[in-house]
Amino acid sequence: MLPDRLKQYPKLSDFSQPNVITTTADLVFAWARSRSVFPFTYGLACCAIEMLSSGFARFDVARYGMEVFRPTPRQCDLMIVAGTLNEKMAPVLKRLYDQMSEPKWVVSMGACATSGGPFYDGYNVVNGVDKVVPVDVYIPGCPPRPEALFQGLLELQKVIRQYKFVPELPEPAKPAERS
Amino acid sequence: MAREVGRVEITMEALFARLAADFGDGLGDLRVQEPDTLVAAVERGALHALAERLKAHELGYETLNFIAAVDHGRHLEAVYHLYSWHTNTWLELHVEVPRGKAELDTVTDVWPGADWHEREAWDMMGIRFKGHPDLRRILLKDDFIGHPLRKDYVDRAENHPHV
Repeated sequence: MLPDRLKQYPKLSDFSQPNVITTTADLVFAWARSRSVFPFTYGLACCAIEMLSSGFARFDVARYGMEVFRPTPRQCDLMIVAGTLNEKMAPVLKRLYDQMSEPKWVVSMGACATSGGPFYDGYNVVNGVDKVVPVDVYIPGCPPRPEALFQGLLELQKVIRQYKFVPELPEPAKPAERS
Repeated sequence: MAREVGRVEITMEALFARLAADFGDGLGDLRVQEPDTLVAAVERGALHALAERLKAHELGYETLNFIAAVDHGRHLEAVYHLYSWHTNTWLELHVEVPRGKAELDTVTDVWPGADWHEREAWDMMGIRFKGHPDLRRILLKDDFIGHPLRKDYVDRAENHPHV
């Protein structure tokens, strides 16, 4: 019995011709993109340690096809903001986000990136990266364990699968009624 | 300029007596605070001349290790941590700075390493150093308003333009 999340995909036995699959472009792109995410190494504070340990053998984010952490925004489509964002860093974060190519997503990792965390009242702390860039998934924790990060990334895969890569065609205009 | 560092064998008591004899009232309230640390209060007008004398002195306080700024409520205070490689001892200069007119003479011409420390003291505590070559904020944004480590600092939205 297939789990529910796999039922949306057609099975090979559904097709009469071998090696031919009929499906939608959206589904193929979503399937591929959600499983080959290139994260951007945006570690700002101690959450970055958890993010890095997620990449190593014990936790191994490669199981989700996300192990290729890139230090440049131009090769990334996911920004994991791990740590406290302060006001001097905010323009830099915005600039790097703008340099990432579309489509792109942002994960806010930990209490600081989500809301300012324990430094909420700080004189130089931005109370959440969503004040600067749009955020798709928030991960609570201080810092979140790698397992929590993985849950956030699995949620992000759901977000990516909802992305419409082909714009919907406008409704054809109705023919004018004859009088 | 820099002299060769020679070890000077001297006890703290002898060091205390030597500094008291050479500087007199310039180092007010001189006392031994730690096994290797002497502490003195300095008038802020006399700071720069004293710094030059201490650096050129035979005991050789050639290293300015740190400038700390303290908010005591009624007044501010700058603390200069000097180190002598000749005697392996510390000398702390405590300089009282009035709250309303927080100004000190720069010591960047004596110890060039004072540059960033003075900028930080200006940034966080609002002590203005006269004669500093480039007194800008060092940690906070240039357009930040106020000096946040002062006890009477109140964080307001208008202190953070362009956020």
